[in-house]
Amino acid sequence: MISKYWISIILVFVLCAYQITTEPLFKVPVNWPKPTYDFSKNPLLKEKVELGRVLFYDPILSKNNTISCASCHSPYTAFTHVDHDLSHGIDDRIGSRNSPTLMNLAWHRSFMWDGAINHLDMQALAPISHPDEMGETIEHVVYKLQQSKTYRSLFYKAFKDSIVTGQHTLKAISQFMLTLVSANSKYDSVMRKQTVFTTQEKNGYTLFKQHCSVCHTEPLFTNLSFENNGLEVDSTLNDYGRMKITKNAMDSLKFKVPTLRNIEFSFPYMHDGRFKKISDVLNHYTSGIHQSKTLSNHLQKPIVLSSNEKVDLTVFLLTLTDKSFLFNQKYSYPKK
Amino acid sequence: MKISSVICILFILLNCVCFSQTKSNIYFQSSFGKEKLVSNKFYHLNSKDSIEISSVKFYVSNIIALNKTKTVWQDSIKYHLVDVLNGKALLFQIPSGITFTQIKFNLGIDSITNVSGALSGDLDPTKGMYWTWQSGYINFKLEGSSNVCPTRHNEFQFHLGGYQYPFNSLQTIFLQAQSSSTIYINMDIYKIIQSINLSTTNHMMSPSKEAVLFSEKIIESLSVSYDK
Repeated sequence: MISKYWISIILVFVLCAYQITTEPLFKVPVNWPKPTYDFSKNPLLKEKVELGRVLFYDPILSKNNTISCASCHSPYTAFTHVDHDLSHGIDDRIGSRNSPTLMNLAWHRSFMWDGAINHLDMQALAPISHPDEMGETIEHVVYKLQQSKTYRSLFYKAFKDSIVTGQHTLKAISQFMLTLVSANSKYDSVMRKQTVFTTQEKNGYTLFKQHCSVCHTEPLFTNLSFENNGLEVDSTLNDYGRMKITKNAMDSLKFKVPTLRNIEFSFPYMHDGRFKKISDVLNHYTSGIHQSKTLSNHLQKPIVLSSNEKVDLTVFLLTLTDKSFLFNQKYSYPKK
Repeated sequence: MKISSVICILFILLNCVCFSQTKSNIYFQSSFGKEKLVSNKFYHLNSKDSIEISSVKFYVSNIIALNKTKTVWQDSIKYHLVDVLNGKALLFQIPSGITFTQIKFNLGIDSITNVSGALSGDLDPTKGMYWTWQSGYINFKLEGSSNVCPTRHNEFQFHLGGYQYPFNSLQTIFLQAQSSSTIYINMDIYKIIQSINLSTTNHMMSPSKEAVLFSEKIIESLSVSYDK
């Protein structure tokens, strides 16, 4: 009898362990659209995700081995750079934009504030090569990785090939970034009918749907398009956004609509980090819109919000904080 | 119907007998006018100006052989990076028994491949033919220096690429060619340089209207010759 009892306990343990180890690396949250990323071309594998994670946190990607992806994309702040309006890279050089958050990237069809990058795999090339960010070349990164015994072994585990290539390096970084899914905020629990909004949050949600959701569309809280949201150009930067890529005057001052998920932690806001607080952002939309030819159609009519409504809207925005994402050990610095 | 089929078959047989007894080796090469293109050499542009070419790299993709309009052969390797001055030449073979009248290929990388993420081999971004600040392959790279360039170190750099409308710089090229043991497809860099004014046009580094126009000029620099 006793032995039977122990056997069943062991069985339960084994089953639990199995359950943990077979937890999928990527899951489409309930009621979410199909991801844009073609997983068939880069099927997720634990060892590849792990290699990507190690690369993400390793300053070896920069010219003088000082800056890693995580330097500007810290996990505890929704993978962005807080406290700095403009992100900085090697030799304390200052870039020209605020680093974007990294989450739910499998649903994005272009990357960067101006959409310069057309595929998640190619994203890492931009910061690696930019003289103000990592100042390195992918050729030399591959060379450095190839010299490292640890990396040869990690590449072998991931790709069954210890020869490091640009393709494998980029695909591994993609794999890690694809696993960064935030879909477990209070808002999400409410949508799944596991909890309910407070009266204030509910009122804020109604206001959100009325004034914001046309661009910050659920469930990603971005429609992934490019819009001019009425920011006057900063004459010290002269950043005209999307126009630099398309060379089309109709795209002047347009930037990619950022997600609002984890907005509580992703300050400062806007492509140049000009607003420190959510209240600054709301005040911009109600009374700071700068008129120009390409101003978003959705901002042609002024947004009117009372100060109470602004508070309610802010309270709703705080329901987009996802602590299980922000403090997820799977995303943090890899332990050796 | 029947008679025409018979004539057609006879014609094909005749063609086979006449032209296709040997396999065709096709070499892609570059020259500067009538001279062989090499690095560290100054070539005359005219009586007083000279030019040095330091890099010629480009993609040749989707090579097919056509008989009139019908595809009769397709290269099994879809993408080739040609690096003229570093000995990475392009040679391909069309087997014997295949009759063709034209060779068709793309100079550059098609748009679907441009949006397909990280790729391997000649398409690996470590080959230096991928833009990092804005996604997309560089279809054609030509670098060098000339006293006519009023630039730093008299250098010129042309990185031609772009896969999206209206700046798609990919060129589809048709060349008249027929079976022969050795076929040369020659790219004359002198002709390419002659098609622009180096003193005013010496940098192209992003998809643009100018890059599209310049890419079209490259077609005129190509010619076919045979080794008899």
